[in-house]
Amino acid sequence: MSAFLDGLLTALQPGNLAALLAGSLLGVFAGAMPGLSSTVGLALVLPVTFALDPTPALLMMVSIYMAAEYGGSITAIAIGVPGSSPALATTFDGYAMTRRGEAGRALGISLFSSMSGGLLGTILLVVALGPLSRAAIAFGPAEYFGLGVFGLSIVANLVGKDPFKGIVSALLGLLFFIVGLDVLTGAPRLTFGTNALMDGLGLVPMLIGFFAIAEALAAVTGRRRSTPPGGGIAGALPKARELFGLWRTILRGSAIGGLIGAIPGAGATIASIVAWNEERRVSKTPERFGTGLPAGIAAPEAANNSCVGAAMIPLLALGIPGSASAAVLLGGLTVQGVAPGPLLMTERSELVYALYAGFVVAVLLMLAVGRLGIPLWTRVVRLRPSILMPLVVAISLVGTFSLRGNAADAWAALFFGLVGFAMLRGGYPLAPAVLGLILGPMIETNYRRALSLSSGSHSVFLESPISLVLLLLAAVSFAAPAVRSRLISGRGRAPEPDTHEPRREEHE
Amino acid sequence: MAPGLAALALAGCSPAGEDAAFPSRAIEIVSWATPGGPTDLLSRALAEAAPPHFDGRRVTVMTRQGGAGAAGMQYLQGREGDPHVLGVFTASGTVNMATGRIPFSPGDFTPILRIQIDPFLVAVRDDSPFHTLGDLFEAAHARPGEVSVSGFGAASAHFLGFARLRAAADDPDVRWIAYEGSADAVVAALGGHTDAAHTNYNIVREHLRAGTMRVLGVALPVEALPETPSYAEQGYDLTPVHWRGVVGPPGLDPALRADLRARLTAAIEDPGFREYMEQAALEYATMADADAFGVWMAEEVATSRDMLRRLGILDE
Repeated sequence: MSAFLDGLLTALQPGNLAALLAGSLLGVFAGAMPGLSSTVGLALVLPVTFALDPTPALLMMVSIYMAAEYGGSITAIAIGVPGSSPALATTFDGYAMTRRGEAGRALGISLFSSMSGGLLGTILLVVALGPLSRAAIAFGPAEYFGLGVFGLSIVANLVGKDPFKGIVSALLGLLFFIVGLDVLTGAPRLTFGTNALMDGLGLVPMLIGFFAIAEALAAVTGRRRSTPPGGGIAGALPKARELFGLWRTILRGSAIGGLIGAIPGAGATIASIVAWNEERRVSKTPERFGTGLPAGIAAPEAANNSCVGAAMIPLLALGIPGSASAAVLLGGLTVQGVAPGPLLMTERSELVYALYAGFVVAVLLMLAVGRLGIPLWTRVVRLRPSILMPLVVAISLVGTFSLRGNAADAWAALFFGLVGFAMLRGGYPLAPAVLGLILGPMIETNYRRALSLSSGSHSVFLESPISLVLLLLAAVSFAAPAVRSRLISGRGRAPEPDTHEPRREEHE
Repeated sequence: MAPGLAALALAGCSPAGEDAAFPSRAIEIVSWATPGGPTDLLSRALAEAAPPHFDGRRVTVMTRQGGAGAAGMQYLQGREGDPHVLGVFTASGTVNMATGRIPFSPGDFTPILRIQIDPFLVAVRDDSPFHTLGDLFEAAHARPGEVSVSGFGAASAHFLGFARLRAAADDPDVRWIAYEGSADAVVAALGGHTDAAHTNYNIVREHLRAGTMRVLGVALPVEALPETPSYAEQGYDLTPVHWRGVVGPPGLDPALRADLRARLTAAIEDPGFREYMEQAALEYATMADADAFGVWMAEEVATSRDMLRRLGILDE
């Protein structure tokens, strides 16, 4: 405990505090800007950290990482465009709440859940560094395959009214992920001989295309109303009682984020979607998820912030970056002469405790910065769509380009914009396609890797207890909505064929 | 300033004024590598150390990723004759040329200065039954297809580095398990999913110090690993290394090229840069002159191509 207090004193020194505050501001900004992410924010300050001492450099970087995970939810809630991919699940309920005129409430719930998740993830990092790092490396190809399939089974809960269209959307996502170099053989697939498609179709261009460009096109053509009613309630914050009433949801979300976040390569995007889905599963009113439920915001936001602390587990204990952002952090540490690994805790314990304390301070600064920003964002929400949407598209395209300095990404975003618009017009949900693009590579490469290691025997997937449990969960999760609707239609006598949406009163 | 103007300014200068004309503006280092990765770090460390040696001009790293590096290379290639734009080339670049994954050849750039090498090595978890490369290959000869080695990429610099080692050991059937990054490949060995990892020293350094991993063999003797026998000492006569160096756009004036080489050579002697080299556990490996670096790049492409043909990955 005294080591932690020493760390806290270090983190609160003026220079270190300034680094933490600068990180918070930059992190919220990078997270909120569609196209930018915590990874881009970290890469931007990397040269700046060269000039700093190891402690402020490290603190600034963790502060950016933490704040960006909240920042992503701002645009997700305010305009329905995830500011970065871990905020994807937050759009489901967050944007729905904004459309009801409750942007302030949604942002408040997100901020409180992000803060709680950030703190819980930090606690997990402090108390479970050793055991969780050992658990993380137990994840081999078979286990990753199981996790990917489980993640994809969530599609069943995202398909909307027409399961057929939802499955078509998921398959489209799986088709898009095939484009690019095959990781296992290095052969180009579906690149049509062009170099621009070599690295595949990225997640960021897809998110920008689907949620910014396609929605803007839909707004322009009058298919969707993208602005909430202009009432005066948009800025109202949630009541404290409502926030604390979400504690079970936040605990569940943080636990899911903590566990998935500690597994290298799994990441905050998957964790937040799994958390949203799990919350829906345990809910008494699962069919209302996606219509603007507080729990639908709290779960993914707690999860993606809890991932930040958890992602430090493999990094600090093993020197293995668990995410793209952690990889940039590792680069910064290397230059500072700090080598994460099994000996870090004994050799540089003062730095590790300063880092732990820095996380706590970073979370509190994120709360302050986030709170000050809410009135601004709720004002943005009230802009007319004819002004707001072109701005969003322009900012998003610039963000997409700046990600890798590659114009091909902006073209890909435009392509996805047209695909997304066509899908919206046809009534195809967009989220399953995104899930397909995220999870497709994890499922395919690990499936092939596992079979390569087992000389072609499929029994590996059943012999690994982790993989077996995940595959069983996937089966349950995939079948549950169908079974439930079967039960409901059995109860309500002979429903009309096209009234798929059950009346809400039946469940309350 | 538009590139055209810079070219005009250069072309308009009398030969005597040429030295005075360079550098006439900020220097750009085009980076097509993963942010935070070893190649990106080299670009950034160089950008930190370079300004005093470039008459105080700013040196910025410009990210242009995509197409397995082709996006950045294309940009560099398009700046013909402009000494203000540089790029960091690596073993991955020459392998990608050999596979045809990128539509370039070493002749599309002007080699200036090879800076560092990063020898490959084969590492195992501490409780592995293998203690030498011979142990690993014998096991693979005895149980074909059952011994696995994880490493970065397929038909990549790592893949070919190991393929060459395997060829020197009479081609035992060792299964290569490709991963998205070197660190992921080390996790696979650390978690017991594969029997060994093919990687670089700095990735496993902390695990070696902590005793959680051991090295079976290293391509070149590494100062930090005095006890570990090299490939050659174990009877495999080859030295595959990862290397990184600075290239310029095509058509660089020989005088400017020599000037750039001199300035960069001074920059990498900077105390800050030396410290980075030490922290990252990399070794200086500048070659006699810029032409030797060019020959090296061409040889790397040729060696890789031979190996790819031998493995049946490339026909012709």
